[in-house]
Amino acid sequence: MKKFLNDPNKFVAEMLEGVHLANPGKFKLVPEFNLLYRSDRPDNSKVSVVQGSGSGHEPAHIMAVGPGMLDAASPGAVFAAPPVDTCYECIKALKSDKGVLVLINNYQGDRMSWDMAIELAQAEGINVKSFIINDDVSVPDSTYSIGRRGVAGNFFVIKACGAAAERGASLDELLKLCEKVNGQVRSMGVALTSCVPPLKGTQLFEIGDDEMEVGIGIHGEPGRRRDKLKPADAIVDEMFDAVAGDLPFKSGDRVAVMINGLGGTPISELYVLYRRAAQRCQQAGLTVVRNYVGEYCTSLEMAGASLTLLRLDAELEDLLAAPAEIPIRVF
Amino acid sequence: MGEITIVAFERAVRTTAATVLRNEQHFSDLDALAGDGDFGASLAAGFRVIEADLPSLDKSTIGAFLLKLSMIISKHVGGSSGPLWGTAFMRAGMLCKDKTSITLEDLEKIASAAIEGIQQRGGALPGDKTLIDVLIPIRDTIGEHVRGDGDNHAALRNATAAAEDAAERAKSWVARRGRQQFTGDRSIGTPDPGMVAVATILSDLCAEFGVSRPKVDA
Repeated sequence: MKKFLNDPNKFVAEMLEGVHLANPGKFKLVPEFNLLYRSDRPDNSKVSVVQGSGSGHEPAHIMAVGPGMLDAASPGAVFAAPPVDTCYECIKALKSDKGVLVLINNYQGDRMSWDMAIELAQAEGINVKSFIINDDVSVPDSTYSIGRRGVAGNFFVIKACGAAAERGASLDELLKLCEKVNGQVRSMGVALTSCVPPLKGTQLFEIGDDEMEVGIGIHGEPGRRRDKLKPADAIVDEMFDAVAGDLPFKSGDRVAVMINGLGGTPISELYVLYRRAAQRCQQAGLTVVRNYVGEYCTSLEMAGASLTLLRLDAELEDLLAAPAEIPIRVF
Repeated sequence: MGEITIVAFERAVRTTAATVLRNEQHFSDLDALAGDGDFGASLAAGFRVIEADLPSLDKSTIGAFLLKLSMIISKHVGGSSGPLWGTAFMRAGMLCKDKTSITLEDLEKIASAAIEGIQQRGGALPGDKTLIDVLIPIRDTIGEHVRGDGDNHAALRNATAAAEDAAERAKSWVARRGRQQFTGDRSIGTPDPGMVAVATILSDLCAEFGVSRPKVDA
């Protein structure tokens, strides 16, 4: 597998440096803790919204920092939870009179690190709370998580909280918002290939040229089953049935739809997938208010995609429509 | 008896690091019986950093020292040991915030806080064959001396015996947590490496602090 790499041990650091250099004046970078945060944060009139999981899922989360989205991200090594000191320093750097909200994707490593960091920060009197995201319907428990994993649906929690925080929402209001979004978002992904973590240097797992993994995790965790590759429409049908059937979404619902590329799939293919997703939504009586086709939560260069559906109400439609700007995209 | 000072804590940590490093292979071998064989290496990775950084770590208070150790352990000790041992040191450190010395009674409270922290972090219950199954007898033994003779050395001596006894008896249990839980009945008859590690550390602390132990028939 050929990659653009210098020293693989410095991959994450160099990526962060590149993001920082590409956005002069917008961010502060603390290399020791892989911490990137908005130059105009913390702001004592606003809750700071932060996140940090493993690297390798970009744009999640280091490239999701910006006005209307995250105020800070502090990732760990590729596919590894950030260590406790990184999490603690992130909270400390972003502490605000209105509080700090830590968004956590449901993986044991992330939870343990952030739980410990939050304990330490709270012991020092910092107002900080967390929320765990678990939108993946693929499997009930997984290799690295007890309960459902947090995947691309994470994006919607960030967007909603980022918009609300920008408008001055309190920490408790944001937690209620998290409950609502997380409670109404569902995702599932399919992988066509594996990926090569830089330090590992070899494929994360084996998968045949004619195979797909249904319900793949974003760290390569196994899903529901290994199957022969099917046509795109059939793959979307399976994802749609699993995702829509889980909430369940009902005729008349207004929804946001995301086709998220896992990193190695061209955007042209993502639109082929979206075509079928849009048809299924129409057939099911779901009104697609907003759609998101692109890379939001990847797994290095894994070829694959995930489908996310979010049931909307007036508040969520308003928050998704709010302007935002992150290093790779202006909304 | 006397207070347990920050100086004693530093000595204890130095001894602990030496024990962990000296037993790296042995602890990993124990882990290989019904686990994935990396416990010794994981623990050693953290304590290698502790040993190297020991001279420069913040020792202004016992709390600051323990919290720093907690960070190093959480960061460098892999698997689930990192967060669990890290949490134990963190809870201990939070109780000793501004102290430069503690009493035996404080030590009992610290042990309780460590146990509670590990339970909250990892979800283990007594009898699951985990770290808390050795920490609870240690804490209880300390408590007996707190309410009895108040003798620090006797407490260490008897806590060590309690730890060794617990680690030995737990061999026959089925592991219900950690990596060993996935091996089911294969974990019967094998020691829990974490319990053995704690007992070994205490035994070496006895030697370091000149706490005599009765000779036991081999």
